[in-house]
Parts: sequence; structure tokens; C-alpha cells
Amino acid sequence: MTASAQLDILYEQRGKRAKELRKTGKKVIGYFCCFVPEEIITALDMVPYRIQGSQSDPIDQADASLEPMTCPFARSCYNMALKGDYDFLDGLVATHSCDTIERMYPIWLHNKPSPFNHLINVPHMTGPSSAEFYRQELIYFIKKLEEWSGRKLDQEKLRDAIKLSNERRALLRGLYELRKADPPLVSGTEITKMLVAGMGIPTAEHIDLIQKFSAEVKERPRSGQQKWPRLFIWGNEIDDIAFIKLIEESGAHVVMDDLCTGSRFFWEDVPETPDPLEGIAVRYIRTHCPRSIDLQITDRRKDLENRYAYIKQYVQEWGVHGAVFYIVRYCDTCELEGPDLREYLNGMKLPVLMIEDDYSVSTIGQLRTRIQAFLEMIA
Amino acid sequence: MPFAGIDIGSTMTKVVIVDRDETVLSAIIGPTGVEHRHLALKVMQEAIAQSNLTIGQIDFIVATGYGRINVPFADKQVTEITCHARGIRALFPAARIIIDIGGQDSKGIKLDSEGKVANFIMNDKCAAGTGRFLEVIAETLGVPLADMGKISLTAKEYVKISNTCTVFAEHEVTSRLAEGAKIPEIIAGLHQSIAGRVVNMVRHLGIEKEVVVTGGGAKNIGLVKAIEDKVGSPVLVPPEPFLTGALGAALLGRSFIDRGLTPDHERRLESVTFFQ
Amino acid sequence: MEEKEQAKTTANKGTEAARQIRSLVKNIYKSAHEAKAAGKKVAYFMVGSQYDEIVRAMDIVPLPTENYAGLCAAKRDMDRFLLKAEEDGYSQVLCSYARIGLGFDSLRKEMGGIPENSPDGGMPLPDMMLGSSAACDPRFKWYQATARYMEAPTYSIDIVAPPADDNLQEVRDYYIKYQKDQLQGLIAFLEAQTGKKMDKERLWETIRLGDKAWQLWYDIDRLRVAAPSPMPSQDHFSVMVAAYYYSGTQIAVDFYQRLYEEVKYKAENKIGVIPDEKYRVLYGGGLPPWHTLWIFNYFESFGAVCVIENMYRGYDPVEVPAHVQDPVEYLAWRTFLRLTQRHEQARARSGSPAVERLLEMIRDYAIDGVVFHACRSCRANTIGQVHTKNILGKFTNIPMIQLVSDMVDLRDYSEAQWKAQITAFIEALAGRRTAA
Repeated sequence: MTASAQLDILYEQRGKRAKELRKTGKKVIGYFCCFVPEEIITALDMVPYRIQGSQSDPIDQADASLEPMTCPFARSCYNMALKGDYDFLDGLVATHSCDTIERMYPIWLHNKPSPFNHLINVPHMTGPSSAEFYRQELIYFIKKLEEWSGRKLDQEKLRDAIKLSNERRALLRGLYELRKADPPLVSGTEITKMLVAGMGIPTAEHIDLIQKFSAEVKERPRSGQQKWPRLFIWGNEIDDIAFIKLIEESGAHVVMDDLCTGSRFFWEDVPETPDPLEGIAVRYIRTHCPRSIDLQITDRRKDLENRYAYIKQYVQEWGVHGAVFYIVRYCDTCELEGPDLREYLNGMKLPVLMIEDDYSVSTIGQLRTRIQAFLEMIA
Repeated sequence: MPFAGIDIGSTMTKVVIVDRDETVLSAIIGPTGVEHRHLALKVMQEAIAQSNLTIGQIDFIVATGYGRINVPFADKQVTEITCHARGIRALFPAARIIIDIGGQDSKGIKLDSEGKVANFIMNDKCAAGTGRFLEVIAETLGVPLADMGKISLTAKEYVKISNTCTVFAEHEVTSRLAEGAKIPEIIAGLHQSIAGRVVNMVRHLGIEKEVVVTGGGAKNIGLVKAIEDKVGSPVLVPPEPFLTGALGAALLGRSFIDRGLTPDHERRLESVTFFQ
Repeated sequence: MEEKEQAKTTANKGTEAARQIRSLVKNIYKSAHEAKAAGKKVAYFMVGSQYDEIVRAMDIVPLPTENYAGLCAAKRDMDRFLLKAEEDGYSQVLCSYARIGLGFDSLRKEMGGIPENSPDGGMPLPDMMLGSSAACDPRFKWYQATARYMEAPTYSIDIVAPPADDNLQEVRDYYIKYQKDQLQGLIAFLEAQTGKKMDKERLWETIRLGDKAWQLWYDIDRLRVAAPSPMPSQDHFSVMVAAYYYSGTQIAVDFYQRLYEEVKYKAENKIGVIPDEKYRVLYGGGLPPWHTLWIFNYFESFGAVCVIENMYRGYDPVEVPAHVQDPVEYLAWRTFLRLTQRHEQARARSGSPAVERLLEMIRDYAIDGVVFHACRSCRANTIGQVHTKNILGKFTNIPMIQLVSDMVDLRDYSEAQWKAQITAFIEALAGRRTAA
């Protein structure tokens, strides 16, 4: 089977591989968000499973216990859990990423608990005392996981897990390098499938898949496609190809992203420090996410540079012509962040389309008009 | 060398045919209806007949509007944002801001000094701020929609309607009526409410003169006056607000030909097959 | 065309003291203007961030931007600020306090001065902005966004509390250490901004005043178990001003002392808020509808008094261990104890600290029904209300309703719908009464 075909299966049949592994006796630990170090889960010989929502399923059960003015992605995940779609998880690890997840955790815990449940209280600030607090929270998380599983976390295994994850990170960066070509050698749609596929399988298996797929990509004939506008996507969770596909079908290439399902979760390696947990804490707390903030802001220009210089680099290195922000409604964090980032990018003469959406395929028609009008505008 | 534009909206389908020097040869407005597949074709056929042409004589056909996807007799589809911009620019060369209040959505479009779209914003999720809102309230009040404008102008003050949810606003209107408010004052309040919402949305783009109001909402004199109130200066209104999208689409056809584009698929004069 | 005159928004209060709050609120903004004129430092400030006494001890005048938003709503002069923020690109579902604050700052920048006729003279430009992560995300993102409208430096602190299912013994020490580090960081920032060192004795003084005010506030609320109710919820939403904006000052202590005496008198002499109290209602949670506070009088018109609330006075007094000798460590301990007050109780029973508190209130205050208010733009205080209701429902079957609007944005409020819900609620209360 080609890697492409494998990719499609993993993308469509989420959870299938995890369920297979579970039958062999492996524990599957579900988690939200880039702030959960999956290396810890891997090192305890368990399978990390990043929880996704479903853009096509209507949210029909969540309202009985969760208010509608909540992040629709989180609500969708919760709805799936209530329907039993996540019954195969042995663990639920949430984070204090944002108000919604923090407050949804006790509700989920009450209505659909997994055998193991835990919330990692990730600090919002990013200074040294925050990194230390985060490290302590990870120690506590590890302790709880050890108590529940009856296993001890082996430091060597943790170091190995870090090496393995770094290997995956490097491979994903390599895949993203292929998007620098004009037209890009890999489409945004394929990348999304690859990222989603990796969410439900062990890191080692994802590494194999990426290697196989990259080889196939390099072999395949260049499509002789038209040179279309090259877009950068900013946002949070995109675990469905619908939106990216819509953009690419409208006549653009999605060449780079800053999404928590995308580059945000894998771009930087965990430094291989003697105490592996230290490397983990220092690297994960630095995750570029609007929900984190520097303690002190003195000069706005400097603050914007601090926050977004890495995006400037993406835009320049990937030859980007325009940016699309995909902000999920009710995300206070992104809604307060969006205008600042737009200002910064406009300052670089980059046009921005800011979309506020519901994380659902029902709005595709309206999105199509906006995307198309934006492409007509920047042509 | 004629060019045609067809704007398939949610309620109406409009066709405009122009010749090379931008003279309008024919302009037809017909209801889109539920069976829009046949009706879009009908309107197209009527327009062609009126201009004494055959479909083969038209150099380029551009489709726009909600139903623009997959129109068998169109050569290209372009969004209504780009088309309204082109159409309004032809009518008002000094236009910089376009406010389009349609039956089911409202838009703001900003033009640069060359008439190109510089930025845009849309509200298509919520009825308030669209013609639908007025339709619902007109029914509640028992007033014909077409009269809402002139009735509102007889009011000396307006009753503030705070709710933006159409259903809640209906309740609010009923309460105000029960408290003794007069119908013209309520309609004026609704116009203020819609104008407020729409102008506020458009302010995202930075309002610059000249401001043009188009779409179905432009035919409501009360609403236009309320928009002028909010903008703080007079606005321009095209003589046929329903047609600016189709006009723009036709004119874009000319630009495509001038840029060397040729129709890229075989044109078939048959029913539109499906939308998105 | 001119807008027709509008109905009033405020409620009739039960106590004299609550009626005096208006001048305390005016004074917040007056003090800020005076401070600026005198060259003293003024800071944008987030309520309930556990740093009040620190700010007071450094002689900095706080400008509570959330309060200002509530004030604008109460005076129904919030639209221009909401609209300006939306014009600048801020979403309509974003925290409406933040939208009003951003809109005000944006207009102030655009006009080169305080917008005309701003409620209570408006807010002067602050010298600094102090954000925090207490309670919600907008509270540190907001000031970061505000930086586009002014040159004031921003400092934010984390306020952390463990989830209810954590084992407190295992996490307490590193939580308190982190909290202390965060507060120290703030002090260092304030020292740099003011050019003065923190006087530890002064800090102890403000802490003692702060504790005293909160203790008195608690004592007052304990008096409210009396029937008929001597003080209703609409008063609570006024009197919270003292603890929330004047903590660390003698003003708050004096105010609560006066209020205590008044409420004690009423309780002892059975002077109720209304002559014929039929039903005792608990305001179970959610920011109050600042835009329509007279809704409490509407309840009263049916003989229903809101007698207590699980809202601004979110915790009871705590006892920090005597071995804590440093005032900043004291504050760290106090924060932790306050925010985990009913965690262990919750682990043993309902799983929810909020439910535990509500059950206590239902018992102590002889409650007949519970009202919640869900605000469309406030995730922090709204998410979890339905869950709380569901769990409460396992322990009690008194009627409960959830009213929906927004705390300041009028566009989400439907008077007709609320009246219908409240009427149905009253009928449910009446039904239980006759059945009993």
C-alpha cells in the first residue's frame, strides 16, 4: 500500500489503530493541546492520542451539560465523548490551555470519565518561575500516571522518547520544507491528513509513515500546476481537511501554518538535557500560543516583534502572499490576539483575511465566498 | 462584442448584457425561487432575447452571486464582492466604500484609488442587518415591506430597538407597541438598528467618501437616511441597486477578454445544475 | 432624528449603605484624576487578582476597568465603546467588559482626550496596566491588546488554583511557592515604576485592613440568614465595591462596619426588604445584568427576594498558618486557601466546590429556588452553570432557572423572554408551597 493510501485510511478511520493497539494490551491516553508532553506517555509505554472533534457531526448531546457559548471545537470533542466515540480511551489528560478546556474538564470528568483523568495546570506566564511551576505540575502528572498504571517512569526511556519525538519533529519540518517549492510539492490538504494521522498512532509508526510518504513525494512527477497565490494559515485546531481543501480548490496553495495541530506543536525540538524533564518543561512552556504571555510588556513594537518574529520568518522563507486567520468563535484568546497579528502582518504588506467560524462544515458556502473574494483581491 | 453578467442571488436573479463601450443592451430581473435551476436559465434567455442576440454571439459570460457555482452557460464565476465593486465603480468613479444590504446578507467593500477591491467584510450569519430582518418585522407590524421607508420618514423620533436577534427584536417591537409607541417611530428605530449594525461592520474598513449604498436595502429611503445619519454625510445610491452585481460581472467579462482569457469550457445553454 | 427617552436600569436597594456606594464608585474615578494631577501613579487593575493590598501599599491608585464597563452599562452609555471596539476588529462575542474598555481607550486615543460625557468623568490615561490570569483569559490578554492605544507598560501575574480533583497535600507547596514568586515579580515591577521600595510594614497594614474588610463582609452575609431578609442581592452587587476596589484601605472597613450595623439592626428587628416576603431565592452564579438591575425588583414584585449570592464574595475568610512571617508569602497562602476552600469537601461528596457552597447556602438561608445568569460573552462565569444545576439537582429538588443575556451588552437581552421565565419560576415556587 502506498503511503498516500495509508494516510487516507488513518485520516478517515481515526481511532482504529489506537483501538487495535488497545486490544494488544496497550493503554491509550487521550489528551488535548500542545502543552501535554506526549513523550511522557510514550515513555510509560502507552499510546498518546490527541483528541479531535468532528466537523460534520451535529452537536446534539453536549447542551444538556455544557453551555453553547463555548469553544465549538471543545464542545464537539465533548459531544463525541458523550456519544461513546471516546470510550476506547484509558486516559483523559486535559490542560489549562484556556478557559473553555479548564472549565470543561470537570464536566467531562463527571459525565464521561476515563479510567485515568488529569488536568495539567499549565501556567499562562512564561518566565522562569512559571517554567519551574510547570515542571512541578509535570512531576505531579507523572506521579498520578505511575500510581494509576503501576509503572515507574524510567529516565532512560524518557530520553529515548524525547529522541524519538525529535526525530518526528525533524521529519515533519522536512516535509514542510517541500512546501517551499513553487508550486509546493505537498499540498496543504495532504499535510493536514498527515498531521491528523499522527494524532492517533504511536510516534514510531508516524515516523515510518512520514519517511515513506516523503520518499513518494520526491519520486512523483511535478504536477505542472499553475502558480497560484501562496497562503499562510493562522489559528488553532484544524483537524479536518474541509477548510484547507476549500482554499486549495479556490485556486491557492496553503504553504505554511501556525496552528496548534500544525507547526506549533512540532516546530522546536526538546533539548536533550541531562534531566530530561527539564528539557521538556523549558521547551513546552515556550510553545508559541496566544494563551501564553510574557510577564512584562514595556514597548509595544518590541512586544509584537517578540510575539511574531517567527511568523515573519515563515512568511519570508515560504514566499507567502497572503494570510488567512481561522478563528473559532468564542475563543477570547484568539479574538484578542487576531487584530494585533493582523496589524503586524499588514505592516509587512501582507494582506490578511480574518475568519471567525463555528468549526462546522455547514458554513462552507459562506467561507467559499470570502476565500474567493480574498483571492480575487490579492491577485 | 457584447458581454453578459448573471447574478444569481438568494431571492432574485439578474442579468445584464453590455456592449463593448459599456452601453447596457438589456437588463432583466427575475425571481430566483426555489427552482433556481430553471429560472436562472429563463432569465438568461429573456435577456438574450431582449437584446436580439444569440448565446453564441456573447463574447464572455460571468456568473456571480450565491448561485454562481457551476453555471453551464457561464465562462467564469467571480464573487459578488468583486462584481459589485466593478459595477459601482462604473456608475460612480469616485466611490470608495460600498455598502450592500441584501435579502440575506450585508457587505462592506473598500475600493482603492484604481477601483480595485482593497478590503471587504461580510455578515452572512445573522439576519439582523439584512432585508430579512425588515421583512419579519414588517409582517409583525402588518405593513407592506415596500412602504416601510416612506412611513418611517413621518416619525419625529425613533424608538430604540436594542435586540439584534430577529426573534427577540420581534418581541421587543410588540412590547413597545403595547407601551404606546407609534408604528413610524418603531420602523425608524429598526432602520437605525440595521444602519447601526451595518455601518459599524463597514467601519472596520475605514469609511472614506464617496459612500455608495446598493442592494435591496438601497430602495428603502428610510434605511438610506438612517445610514447617512450613521455615516455622517450623504451617500450615493445607484438608480437600479439590484443590478450593480450583474453589471459588474458583465464588465469584468470585458476585462477578462482584454487580458487574453478565453472561455475555458464549452458553454451550454441549459439549466444550472447545482449550487455549492 | 432623535432617540426617544429610555427606561431606567438600576434597582431599588434594600439598605441605606448600599445607596451610598454610588459616591464610592464616583470616587474611584475622581481619585484617579486627582492622582494624575498630583503626579501620583495610576494603574489599570483587574478585580479579584489578589494583589489589591500590594497596589495600595505602593500608594498606587487603582483604575478597575471592569467596573468602568459595568458603570457604562448601568448608565446605558456603553454602545459607543462597544461599537468602536468592534470597528477596530474585536469580535462581538468577546468579553464585553474588554470590548468596552478597548473601545473607550480607542476613542480616547482617536479624540486626543476623554470622550465627551463619559460616565463619571471617564478614565484618565494610566501609568501602567496590571493584568492577571485570575478567573479568566481576557484579563491578561486585554491589556496586551490595549497597548495599541497607549504607551503604558503592562505587567501580568498568574493566579493559580489546582483543579478540584487534585490532591491538595501533594501540590500545595509548589503552588504557594509559584504564587509567591509571581507576587514578588509584581512588587519588583511596581518598585521600578514608582522608584520606591515596598515597605513590608505598610504591606502588613494594608493586608490587615483587607482581611478585616472581608471578615466584616462575611459577618454581614451571615446576618442575612435572617427571615425576612435584611439585605437583598442587588445590594450585594453594590456593596462588593468596597471589598473589590478598596481592599487594603480604611474606607472599606468603615463601610462594612456601617453596613454590618444596619443589617444587624434590620435582622434583629425583623425589618425585611419587602413587607411580605414569600420566597427566598439564591442567586447561584453569573455576572449580574448590569444593564437591567431592576430585574431584582421585578422578582420582589412577586414576593420573591434574592437573599444571598454565590458571586462576588466568592470565599469565606481563611486562616493562614501562624508560621508565615513574610507578607508576600502570606498573600500566596491566602490566595491558595481561598481558591481551594471547598476542594476537599467536594472530593468527598459532589465533586464540585461550587455545588458544595450552594448546598450550604440553600440550607443556611432557607432557600426556595435558585437563579443563574448566563452571559454570552463571559465564558469564565458562565461555563459550568448547567453542570452545577445538574449536580445540585441530585441533592435538592428546588426549582432552578438560568436567565441568559450578557453582563453589559444589551443586544443579547430580551425583556419579554426574561419576564416569561421569571413568571414560570414563581409559579413553580408557588406550586411547591401549596403542595407542602
